[in-house]
Amino acid sequence: MRRLLIACAASLILYGAAFTWLLDRPLTLGALRARIEATVALGETIQQPKLVILAGSNGPFSHRCETIEPIIGRPCINAGVAVGVGLDYLFTRWKPLLHPGDLVYLPLEETQYVRPRATSDLGPDATIMLRHDHATLVTLPLRRQIAAVFASDLRAAIMSVIETALADDGFDDPRAAAGGGFNAWGDHVGHTAALARLNQSTLAAIVPVHPTAVQIQAGYGSRLVADFLRWAGRHGVRAIGGLPTGFSDSPIRDDSLTAIRAIYRDQGAGFLELPNRSRYPRSAFFDTQDHLNETAQIDHSVAIAEALVRLTATTLTVRTPAPPP
Amino acid sequence: MMFHTIAFILGFLPICLVGFFSLGRFLHTRWALLWLVACSLFFYGWWNPDHLPLLIGSVGLNYAVAVMLRRSDRPRSWLGAGITLNLALLGWFKYADFLLHIVAPAAPSLHVTLPLAISFFTFQQIMFLVDISRGTTKTQPPLLTYASFVTFFPHLIAGPIVRPSEILPQLAGPDLARPRTDAIADGVLIFLLGLGKKLVLADMFGGFADTGFDAAAHGATLTYFEAWYATLAYALQIYFDFSGYSDMAIGLARMLNVRFPLNFDSPYQATNIADFWRRWHITLGAFLRDYLYIPLGGNRIGPLRQTGNLMVTMLLCGLWHGAAWNFVIWGGLHGLLIVIHKQYRRLFPPMPPACGQALTLCAVILAWVPFRAASLAASLAMLRGMAGLNGVALPRMIVTALPGLRTIAEPVTVMPYLGDARTLSFPELSACLLLGWLIVLTLPNVHRMTVRTRHWTLTGSFALSMQALFFAPHIAPFLYFQF
Repeated sequence: MRRLLIACAASLILYGAAFTWLLDRPLTLGALRARIEATVALGETIQQPKLVILAGSNGPFSHRCETIEPIIGRPCINAGVAVGVGLDYLFTRWKPLLHPGDLVYLPLEETQYVRPRATSDLGPDATIMLRHDHATLVTLPLRRQIAAVFASDLRAAIMSVIETALADDGFDDPRAAAGGGFNAWGDHVGHTAALARLNQSTLAAIVPVHPTAVQIQAGYGSRLVADFLRWAGRHGVRAIGGLPTGFSDSPIRDDSLTAIRAIYRDQGAGFLELPNRSRYPRSAFFDTQDHLNETAQIDHSVAIAEALVRLTATTLTVRTPAPPP
Repeated sequence: MMFHTIAFILGFLPICLVGFFSLGRFLHTRWALLWLVACSLFFYGWWNPDHLPLLIGSVGLNYAVAVMLRRSDRPRSWLGAGITLNLALLGWFKYADFLLHIVAPAAPSLHVTLPLAISFFTFQQIMFLVDISRGTTKTQPPLLTYASFVTFFPHLIAGPIVRPSEILPQLAGPDLARPRTDAIADGVLIFLLGLGKKLVLADMFGGFADTGFDAAAHGATLTYFEAWYATLAYALQIYFDFSGYSDMAIGLARMLNVRFPLNFDSPYQATNIADFWRRWHITLGAFLRDYLYIPLGGNRIGPLRQTGNLMVTMLLCGLWHGAAWNFVIWGGLHGLLIVIHKQYRRLFPPMPPACGQALTLCAVILAWVPFRAASLAASLAMLRGMAGLNGVALPRMIVTALPGLRTIAEPVTVMPYLGDARTLSFPELSACLLLGWLIVLTLPNVHRMTVRTRHWTLTGSFALSMQALFFAPHIAPFLYFQF
């Protein structure tokens, strides 16, 4: 029995040590981390009132700070990363960089409101924190810290070995050529309408799943957003909710929309809603319902920026746009 | 309740063990057995309590038939009645719809819910009746011992199909409910290794297999590697899933001072198809041999009848897995392979073991296609892909790195039916499959490992099992639960 217990304990120690200090995924999680760190670093350099867009990949793919910034007259940072990145992690990273007078726009994907806590705790940010960002990890609840330690499975270990070998070998990610990259504002660029035509059949086949109003009301993400809105209110940060982009042939149900609006309005935050509720024909998208193609991204960003100006007219002072970082 | 759930491991099992050994120590083994039956019925009823009366009724009825079989001067009639009753019950619940649609394809479905484990407890009790009539089981056990044998939770849901003559004496032993540290430690060790097989390996390969087979079921066109990788992953999934379950059952029984027979003995290392069936689901193979093939005449009759009996046995083996044509085809394929093997042995000298193993492995893997596929059309779609009739595609980065491949493979950004269809899915699956096949082809199984190797294996797998148990978003049920 003693040997059995020793084997179990050794296994846990080895597992923890391997995923904390040894195994890494420089290509997949590395790319996400690079994005998070780049936008956070940009946020640290801006002292004047700014606009920060927080979302999943809907943020950088469907919104363009480069376009929005001159219209609203304040620096803009596109800090959306990926739908799987935990909202609590994103908010924890950004809270120290938000100051009174700052504006935060949250066009969150629907699934971000309803993702269960257990799934959210095991998102890519868990592995990123365990391996590279202990400073943020220790500020999160113990439950989240334990989940971060146990976020990786055998596939993750195998992928770590593969990714490390490929990264050492100077692997050239073909996705960059197939879909573009990121600019200095954090926007995704180069996902042109021409490239989107390669994904036409994929886009045609997508059947979006919309969470119900009850799911949104009870969602773990909704709770995190409400907590963040309360924090923002206390700290003079103006948070504004928004809708993610989606197919016009698959609208969000009215009761779900009411539930989303209520999250923001119940906390005294604003809610931005375009007349088209951010719905566009499938031809305006790149590869999923969260990713507009570049042309539509720019048009959507103009509409969002103008609506933001109208919504915040009483508090926003139009300034000369800051030079691109 | 499933062995690989938190409710079972942290709730049911400790309570069951503590109650069992406490009652055995402070009262009597009989009370411990009663506790065991109660726990087993609770375990069975957890999923669907509606079927509990069926299980209890089946146990009571078979026990009564066994009593009559012993006392009557017409034991064969009682045996016939008992077997007919069991098969009728199995036939109604498992095959009624299947048979109805063969006779009347347009008839509306009967919607009979399949009671959990009916195939296993039916076979178990048929064995008991036959053994009683043959005299293999010498004495009529008390009803409590018999009930604990049939409902014994470690084998109740998905086997192994244990022989009454092996288990009943152990359950009747005076030391049954005396805790033994070595047995508990052995049992826990084997259980945890089985848990690792299921949660870490089977579920991982299951995800890969599902992608390919689900795509084929929806009419997708799978290219060469997509089809082969899904099939290779399924072959690993079903092995790790069922052998993992069997290891867990063996470990649980061991904790309760009962020794179960081996159910898997590295089947993919078999050097011919007959050898495969001596290593794969050993207890089912032994049941079919001793209770079907040999009574039909076995090897004692002419080659033609022998071939016929083999085919009948294997077709029924396929049908036992489920009331669907894909299982019949799978059983038929295995029957055919055994017949070919027997003819080959008559006519030619044995082939080198490595060739035999490779050939057997290929045949077994190909036979898994109809077993797993959702329909005959999906099987054919899969086989077309495996034959390369839908072309060969490879990730662009592989073709760029190895330009020679451009002559046989079309470079693509992602392969849509391979794993998660990501840029790196191909190397990921290749590495996972390599690891899985290395384990099954080169390493000893849990039961052939030394104690030291078992502990080292546990060191490698325990944390990953805990990760899957407590943190995996979804735990798949055992594949053999559906049988």
